[in-house]
Amino acid sequence: MSRNGAPSFREDILESISNAPGVSGGEEAVRAILAEHARDHVDSLEVDPMGSLVARLSPGSAKRGPHVMLCAHMDEVGLMVTAIEKEGRLRFRRVGGIDPRILPGQVFRIGVGGTRGVVGALPPHLVPRAERDRVTAADDLYLDIGARSREEAEELVPVGAYAVFDTAYEAWGSTRKGKAFDDRAGCAILASLIQRRPPVPVTAVWSVQEEVGLRGAAAAARRVQPDLAIVLEGTASGEAPGAPPDEQYPYMGRGPALTVQDRSLMVHARLLDVIEATAQRHRVPTQWKRPGVGGTDAGRIAISGSGVPSAGVSVVCRYIHAPAAFLDIRDAQRAVTLIWNTLETLRKEWP
Amino acid sequence: MATSGDRTCADWLRHITSLPGVPGQEEATARELMKAFRTVADRVERDRMGSVYAWIEGTAPEPRPRALLAAHMDKIGFLVRAIEPGGYLRLTEVGGFDSRTLPGKEVTVHSSPPMAAVFATRPPHLQKKGESERSIPLEELYLDTGRPEREVLRKVQVGTMVTLRQSPVELLGDRLAAPGMDDRAGIVVMLRALELLRSRRPAWDVVAVATVEEEFGVICLGARTAAENLAPDLGIAIDVSHGDMPGAREGDTVPLGSGPALSIGGNIHPLILEDLKRSAKALSMPYRVEPCPTGSGTDAMDIQIASSGVPTAVIGIPCRYMHTGVETVEPRDVDRCAHLLGHYLSELSPEWRAVEVLK
Repeated sequence: MSRNGAPSFREDILESISNAPGVSGGEEAVRAILAEHARDHVDSLEVDPMGSLVARLSPGSAKRGPHVMLCAHMDEVGLMVTAIEKEGRLRFRRVGGIDPRILPGQVFRIGVGGTRGVVGALPPHLVPRAERDRVTAADDLYLDIGARSREEAEELVPVGAYAVFDTAYEAWGSTRKGKAFDDRAGCAILASLIQRRPPVPVTAVWSVQEEVGLRGAAAAARRVQPDLAIVLEGTASGEAPGAPPDEQYPYMGRGPALTVQDRSLMVHARLLDVIEATAQRHRVPTQWKRPGVGGTDAGRIAISGSGVPSAGVSVVCRYIHAPAAFLDIRDAQRAVTLIWNTLETLRKEWP
Repeated sequence: MATSGDRTCADWLRHITSLPGVPGQEEATARELMKAFRTVADRVERDRMGSVYAWIEGTAPEPRPRALLAAHMDKIGFLVRAIEPGGYLRLTEVGGFDSRTLPGKEVTVHSSPPMAAVFATRPPHLQKKGESERSIPLEELYLDTGRPEREVLRKVQVGTMVTLRQSPVELLGDRLAAPGMDDRAGIVVMLRALELLRSRRPAWDVVAVATVEEEFGVICLGARTAAENLAPDLGIAIDVSHGDMPGAREGDTVPLGSGPALSIGGNIHPLILEDLKRSAKALSMPYRVEPCPTGSGTDAMDIQIASSGVPTAVIGIPCRYMHTGVETVEPRDVDRCAHLLGHYLSELSPEWRAVEVLK
C-alpha cells in the first residue's frame, strides 16, 4: 500500500496494547508500553495528574503551522470486582458500556496478576422453563476463579481489581481479532504517527477514562491548549446480515470513517474539509461515520478553554465493547497515511 | 497421584477436551483416542458405528464375564445451517446449548483448513432502546469469520461442524475450565482406570468404550450398539454431574472436589452401587450419592435396556456450568473416579452376576 510518505503502521504495538489490560481508571499497563515506545521519538513525555500520557513533538520544518493535539484513549470497557463472597465467588460491576448478554460463560483476566475467572452460567438442564428467555442482569452474575473461600480469593484478587476479556490478538486473513480495539486501534495509530518528526507541532495524548464520561481528555486539553484537535478512534461498524442499508455503514475495510457529528460533537466544518480534501488528494478511501451515535474525547476537547476546532477519524471495527473485536489491518495504515498528510496540509493551509 | 506416561490427569484433560467431535462427526477424535488408549489397553478397536473399544483382559478362565465402561466422546456443538450474503454463517445446534451463553464467544469452523469465527454482537452504541433486555435465540445469532464471502463459500458448506473455541482455563485449586469436559472428563477417567487395571488385573474382561452420539438426543446410539455387540454382564457409564452453583437447588448438584457422584435410582443396579460405595470406603475416598429419580440421562440409560438387560451404574464427575464453554472440573475428582473404578473392577469376583435365580 502506498503510504505517501507517511510512517508505517506499527502492528506490533497494536498487538501488545490490545493484549494488555487497561480498564478505565487502570490504564497503567497500556501506558507503560506506549511510554516505552514514545520515549525515543518525542521531545518531552509526561504523565498528567489523571494518568494520561502526554508527548510533545516539535515540527521538522521551519514554518511551524498550527499546534495539533492528536488524541486516542487508552482505557477499555471491563469489570471491577466489588465484593468477594464467603464461598470465594467474586461479584462485579461493569465499567463502561457492556451488553450484559455477552457475559455468561465468558472468561476474564482479573487484577494485575491476570488471574483467570469464568462467569458462571446455570446449565440449560437446570434452568426453569419460564426463565429460559430471561436475560440475567449483570449484577446477578459472578466470577468463579476456583477459590473455595473469601480468604483464598482475596490473596490474588482484592476488591477493586479490574477484569478484562481474556482474548488473544490474532490475524484472520486481513482481519485482526482482539479485545479493546476501541481504542487501542487509535492508540497504535498515534504511536505510529510519532515515529517521525511531524510537519506541525504535535502534542500526542493517550488519554484515560474515555469510557466513563470522556474524562481524561477534558483535563489533558486544558493542559495542552492546542489550536486544533483530531481524535483517533476505533468505531462501531453497522454491518449485519439482513440489516437495512442505512444501518449497515460504516463498513470494516473501506477506509477511515470521518465524523460529521455524534452525540458529543459537531465537527469543525473547515477542519473536516481539510481532512476530506487530503484523503482525495492522496487517494485514501474514506467513509462517513454514522451521525447521531456515540461520543468521543473530541466532544470534550472541542469545548475546552476558548474552544478547539476538533475532528474525529476512526478505524471501523466490528463488535467493539465485546470480547473479540475485528478490524481490517489495511484501514489502520490508511488512517496513519490520512492523518500524516492532513498534518502536512494543515502546515500549508491553516489558518 | 499416578500418571499415564508423563501425562497427569490435567494434561489428559487439556489434550482430550481440545479435540473436536460433535455427534456424528467423531472421526478425528476417535483416531486420537485410539492412540491414547493404545498406551494403556491390551487391544483397541472400533465398531461399525465408530465407537472405540479398549480391552483389558481378565485373569479368570474363559469364557470370562465382561464389564462395559462407557463415556461418550462426542461433545455438543453446531452445524452450519446457511451461509448469508457477506459470508456470515447461521447455525443449528447438535446438543443443547443455552443460547444466552453464546453471544461474543469464539468458535472453530471445521472447514479444511479450519477457520476461527465469533458469534457477532451489536455494540451498545447501535442498539435500540431495550434491546439488551431481550435474549437472542440461536436462529438469530450468526458467526463472522472475518473472511471475504468468496473465501467462506469456497471452504464452508451446510453441515460443516462448528465447536466452541476456548482453550482450557486454569483456575485456583487446580480446577480446569474448558468446553467438552462433558464427557471428555469421562474418557480420561477410563484411560486412567485402564492404566490402573493393567497393573492390577481384574478377573473380568473390561471393555472401555468411547461412545458416539450421546448428545444427539434420540438415543445414546454408541452406548446402545456397543452394549448389543458386547452383551456385557455389567455396564458403568462415566459422565459429568452438575457441580454446585448459585441458582441451582441443593439436590440437583454435587460440590466440586467432593469425589465421585454415585447415581441412585431406577437406572442403577443397587448391588453395583453398594459395591462402589464399599470400594470408596476401602480407598478412604469421599463420594456423594446423586438422586436420579427418573433416569440418569447418560449412556447407562441405553446400556441398561440393551441385549437381554444389563445391570448398570453411573459414576459422575462433578462439573460446573455444563453445556457452556467453561465446563469446570477438578482433576482430583477425575482421578478419584478412576481409582474407584480400578478398585471396584479389580475386586469384582468372577462369579458375580446380577441375575438372581430364585428357584
